[in-house]
Amino acid sequence: MSPEKAVREVSVTIDGNTFAVPEGTLVVEAAKHLGTQIPVYCYHPKLEPAGLCRICLVEIEKMPKLQIACATRVADGMVVHTSSAKVAEARRGVLEFLLLNHPLDCPVCDKGGECELQDFTMSYGPGESRLTEPKLHKPKLVDLGPTIVLDEERCILCRRCTRFDDEIAQERTLIVEDRGFKSLISTRNGGAYASYFSGNTTEICPVGALTSKAYRFRSRPWDLNHTDSVCTQCSVGCNYRVDTRFGRVMRTFTRENPAVDDGWICDRGRYTFNYLYAPERLRAPSIKRDGGRVDVTFAEAAVLAGSKLAEAAARGRVGVIGGGRLSDEEAYALQRFAREVLGTNNIDYRTHAQVYASPSRFGARLTDIDDASVILAFGAVTPELAPILDLRIRRAVARGHAKFVYMGPYRPAFTIETRYVKLQRGTLPKELDDLGDAVRRGAGQPGGSDVATIASDIAAAKKIVAIHSGEDAPSADAIERLVETLQQSGRDAGILVVGATGNARGAEAAGCVPNLGPGYAPVSGEPGMTTDQMLAAAADGRLDALFVIGANPALTFPDGALARRALKRVPFLAVADQVMTETASYAHIVFAAASFAEKRGHTTNLEGIRQAFAAAVESPLEVRTDAQIIGALTLATRRGSIGDDPTTLFAELNAAESAPRAKTGGGALARPVVTGASAPIAVPDGALTVIPIPHLYAGGGAAAHDPGTKPMRPEPYAVFSPSDARRLSLDEGARVKLSGASGSIEVSARIAQQVPDGSVLVLAEMPEAPHNLLLDASGGGWANVEVIAGAAEAAG
Amino acid sequence: MTPQRERRGAELVAKYPEARSALVPFLQYCQAEDGYVTDQAIADAAELVGITPAEVESTASFYSLLFRHPIGKHVIQVCRTLGCMLGGADELREHIRTRLGVENLETTADGAITYEEVECLAACDRAPVLQHNLEFVYNVTPEKFDSLLETWRRESPAAALPAE
Amino acid sequence: MPIEPVLTKGFGSLDLTDLAVYRSVGGFAALTKALREMTPDGVVAEVMASNLRGRGGAGFPTGKKWSFLPKDGRPRYLVCNSDEAEAGTFKDRMLLENSPFNLIEGLVISAYAVNAKRVFIYIRGEFLAGYRIFQKALAQAYDAGLVGADILGSGYSVEIVPHRGAGAYICGEETAQLNSLEGKRGEPRLKPPFPANAGLYGMPTVVNNVETLMYVPHIIERGAKWFASIGAEKSPGPKVISVSGHVMRPGNYEVPLGIPMRELVMELAGGLRPGRRVKAIQPGGGSSAAIFEEDLDVACDFDSLAAKGTMLGSGAVTVMDDTACMVRCALTINRFFETESCGQCTPCREGGQWVHRMVARLEAGEGSESDLKILTTINRTITGTNLCVLGDSIMPFLSSVYKHFPEEFHDHVRLAGCPLHARSESAA
Ligand SMILES: Cc1cc2nc3c(=O)[nH]c(=O)nc-3n(C[C@H](O)[C@H](O)[C@H](O)COP(=O)(O)O)c2cc1C
Ligand code: SF4
Ligand code: SF4
Ligand code: SF4
Ligand code: FES
Ligand code: FES
Repeated sequence: MSPEKAVREVSVTIDGNTFAVPEGTLVVEAAKHLGTQIPVYCYHPKLEPAGLCRICLVEIEKMPKLQIACATRVADGMVVHTSSAKVAEARRGVLEFLLLNHPLDCPVCDKGGECELQDFTMSYGPGESRLTEPKLHKPKLVDLGPTIVLDEERCILCRRCTRFDDEIAQERTLIVEDRGFKSLISTRNGGAYASYFSGNTTEICPVGALTSKAYRFRSRPWDLNHTDSVCTQCSVGCNYRVDTRFGRVMRTFTRENPAVDDGWICDRGRYTFNYLYAPERLRAPSIKRDGGRVDVTFAEAAVLAGSKLAEAAARGRVGVIGGGRLSDEEAYALQRFAREVLGTNNIDYRTHAQVYASPSRFGARLTDIDDASVILAFGAVTPELAPILDLRIRRAVARGHAKFVYMGPYRPAFTIETRYVKLQRGTLPKELDDLGDAVRRGAGQPGGSDVATIASDIAAAKKIVAIHSGEDAPSADAIERLVETLQQSGRDAGILVVGATGNARGAEAAGCVPNLGPGYAPVSGEPGMTTDQMLAAAADGRLDALFVIGANPALTFPDGALARRALKRVPFLAVADQVMTETASYAHIVFAAASFAEKRGHTTNLEGIRQAFAAAVESPLEVRTDAQIIGALTLATRRGSIGDDPTTLFAELNAAESAPRAKTGGGALARPVVTGASAPIAVPDGALTVIPIPHLYAGGGAAAHDPGTKPMRPEPYAVFSPSDARRLSLDEGARVKLSGASGSIEVSARIAQQVPDGSVLVLAEMPEAPHNLLLDASGGGWANVEVIAGAAEAAG
Repeated sequence: MTPQRERRGAELVAKYPEARSALVPFLQYCQAEDGYVTDQAIADAAELVGITPAEVESTASFYSLLFRHPIGKHVIQVCRTLGCMLGGADELREHIRTRLGVENLETTADGAITYEEVECLAACDRAPVLQHNLEFVYNVTPEKFDSLLETWRRESPAAALPAE
Repeated sequence: MPIEPVLTKGFGSLDLTDLAVYRSVGGFAALTKALREMTPDGVVAEVMASNLRGRGGAGFPTGKKWSFLPKDGRPRYLVCNSDEAEAGTFKDRMLLENSPFNLIEGLVISAYAVNAKRVFIYIRGEFLAGYRIFQKALAQAYDAGLVGADILGSGYSVEIVPHRGAGAYICGEETAQLNSLEGKRGEPRLKPPFPANAGLYGMPTVVNNVETLMYVPHIIERGAKWFASIGAEKSPGPKVISVSGHVMRPGNYEVPLGIPMRELVMELAGGLRPGRRVKAIQPGGGSSAAIFEEDLDVACDFDSLAAKGTMLGSGAVTVMDDTACMVRCALTINRFFETESCGQCTPCREGGQWVHRMVARLEAGEGSESDLKILTTINRTITGTNLCVLGDSIMPFLSSVYKHFPEEFHDHVRLAGCPLHARSESAA
């Protein structure tokens, strides 16, 4: 971390109070030191000062005109008046102008109660209104995209929204159209504002001009209760607030943590709560009976499942899969359940292609991205997997000091300038070792090759952050070797691993892996089976019972055919989840699990920070937290007792992991065991190599059923290179059947330049067309392509 | 993008240190070719200078000489600012509107003539003033307008708003 | 006190768009002198000594502006502002169309002075003819080695790039012009940073008006002393002033700064039509407050007009005689600013539109006393509260004529129409 430059302090006098602030502080920020609020509209601390709305005018001595507090920086000895008569008049004027054509439909406005136009009009507005001027009418319900609606009459043209889209998201699809008083916010010409970050504009819009479709007319801000929480939809762990009314979640709202989310959340995080009230939400346990399912009470389900698991445990033929979607406390309880109650090390949270979540050495922080000079991403498609982390990368690159390098099998659509290196399967370790060699040899490499180019980027770099998808163990080792080399060459370098699930790292740290207990302490005795081993064993009839909790391996495990065989074949399957997933559909007993909004605890984000969240609402009657499910199962097995109180569990977890963690002495953490590695696969003649691609709104759980995110969810598709498309005579939109070694799926075809010839990108984790039917356990696979219907036919 | 457009685009980009500077000149070129700024031109411009189509739209919509919808082969822009008003522009505008049967920024029913009232054209010494396809006509009287209109109607100019 | 014309010499009799003709009257001698005998700093010093003040509206000393450029090795740009769109101004267009080589010579010498390798000339989109004339002249100048690489064997090279605007008055404001040149919306930028530090493409940039730059060769050729000896002490030199409206001989007049308004209007421009009297004059374009008959002896220079509460601006004098309805005159001005506001700032965008609506109502005989009441105070919240000077230009004319002829405004309300009965007659 580079040392901060010493900042000179200057003295400023605001409304008669003299104090010191760092040189260059904006007047509006300096005033906050005094607790003085200077009204602002266009100003937002996260955006560049724009100086448009003019509400923040203040008087500065020795300056003939009023100055804007949002863009004027304090100079030594500056004397500022924020509430003189001149200032008050100017503010009144600006408010009067803004109200001139404003509809004043506050009673039906979603922003009512938290509207800055309302607030400032009360505090500084024109007292006796002379606004008899007939209002200009404008469209009030402009559909900007899948999430956002614009009321042009309410818009005060502060441009926070377009500046957010430009400066923060850097997507530049939301624009100002026309000029002068005809200016309006728009996407122009039918384009949709379909940013993953769109919801943030509804928060920063100072008035009720931009509203979420998911929240329109739901409730008034003053009726809401607020609960501090943490988003668990991905491994970034953005802090947010859950706003509730009458025990129901109404919306989520940012709760800035500069080190994690910088004050933003993505739309997946923001809108994925509506499934709680969707019909697909599980509200009671159920058991398989007579070819159907019947609801049972929680007690009944727990007794039944407990005894089945105990029986299998007694024979040593039991396994536990899950943990990556539980809280830290629950993950800890889960591994205790496996080890102490079921007497097995057969426990694994890994249900995706990801094989580890914690770098064993050189862990980086999210904030390290901010001042990195080179960001190297390996297979981690951050816009889809960790959107708010991606914003951080975008910002670092936009500020001009960071270069972004991506290595992977295809070129994902990054918003920012990307140096892309195409990887063949299994070649990353060698590339990275070559890179390490190049770095060791020093600058001035013979140019041309990718390695040489990146080496020269690195030569000039002070700080490097590596971001890995966590897939493929040899790559993980190679990344650590490279980072070690970088550190030895005097550079700052670190690693971030993007979790496949929200609490992957927490589950790993809590011991939900076959060879490690809490705190990465190696287990005594034989390590248990990994997920693929458990599934293989179950498929072969070598396991009698599986307990799957908060996981959907049928859809996420790389070898989909194996996962399905195992789940169908295992004599007893118990599943705990919030919605009826494919995995749950195979279960003999399904537990209805509580959501994060319905429980309290901690969750660990990808950089290893443990954050607390609180319960915002109560769960339905027969729904239980995962801890309660584990606790009740323990009781039912009569093989011990595991409490379900998060506070106690948290204390136990801390005690359990501090000891072994200390033993590592700051050295490397142990890694979970893995089986197999990405090796080149044999693709039959005429078939295409399958490359799964992630999508923010994919998934077979909550996302599949959430009314808030459904409009953004894509149809299953596969992307072909133009030349393969030509060879296969398929056009954009055609319906195609992809058949692999052990299954086939039907999807619609897209064509894009970025696809390498001979490969097909397949949207991953879509229950309608599971990509994993085309893959083997190592995540490799191929497909033959058959056109079922041409584009026109498919559309009709 | 047509090869010709691509070539012209490249020439324009080469004139500037940064490609985006060529945006408006390129749109002017496309407008002269197509009669107005078409969706295709927006897409081509975005590709040429490396910005989003929405950014092209935002920029294009700022400038009054770029039209995003079809306009006539003849664009008549009549000054309405002080100097011309003192010289009789209000009466002239009324005459032209009646004569063409259109209001400000409308196009005649046959699609041939687009009428626009504009601000000072920097020819106030010869008021009232108008531009026909960016060519000045000075000291316009209703009679002079009528006879010019006859002439214009017989012509078929290559572009209402030439780029060069 | 007429002077020998400088920029406009030969206009009407010589075809100065022909390089040979321009040369025959001494053209490019100054360029030769500057490149062969003077250092860039020498040119800056000479221009500074002449006290040439910008002819684009603000009257800022040109040499001083050039001296602000930081000497930090970054590329520098010179931008010539030929966007002339201030209501009533038509001098730059005439200069561009009639004397493109004088401009080119001025551009090269000035670029040499500020050490710019590239010059952009931003030509108003409506000036297609001027653009074509300039393009043609520029090609000749390149061919003759007067622009481009190693000019006149001096080792100094500069490229000139003409750039057409696309319809927006605000692009005459220098920072809006830079945005426009960068292919963006022509919206003024927040200052600081100033263009001298971070202008075009973020580099040090000088923006100067066409007329300003055209005087540079003459100053180099004849010396700063000569220039400074002409006209008013603090606003020296000749200036082209556009006179229009109710005068017998509207047109451009190159006069020494400081010429009395009376002489300019009543003598040079031929005075008013028989029997007419001056009612109001805008001395500095649509942005300026009016002066009235009793002010006719004011000197036309930056400081004297400022002392009268108005300005010389771009040098555009619009004369209104006693047939002119002040409300209708104001309407054209306030409509102008409504149309031309870029829309970034609340007071300019909303206030400007509101004022226009009220004035339009008054003019149509639908106004009210409460409108008038608002118009008396609204300048306090519109003027001086915006990002750029356009916002400050909305009210001066309206306020000045309302203040001077209040009864005419009240009569529009009382009579539900114009008290001058007939619509104002044309000057023709
Ligand atoms: C709204 C507005 C419009 C302007 N229009 C012009 C213009 O058309 N031509 C011009 O030279 N300067 C114009 N200016 C002044 C320029 O901002 C700038 O001061 C000038 O070009 C500098 O050149 P000078 O120092 O040679 O006068 C305008 C300023 C404003 C605020
Ligand atoms: S929509 Fe909201 S944020 Fe966007 S410009 Fe309008 S008021 Fe500002
Ligand atoms: S980035 Fe991840 S943690 Fe943050 S809001 Fe989005 S889904 Fe939630
Ligand atoms: S004052 Fe008017 S023209 Fe100037 S920046 Fe503000 S809105 Fe735009
Ligand atoms: S908050 Fe300062 S101008 Fe808008
Ligand atoms: S007022 Fe019409 S050209 Fe100037």
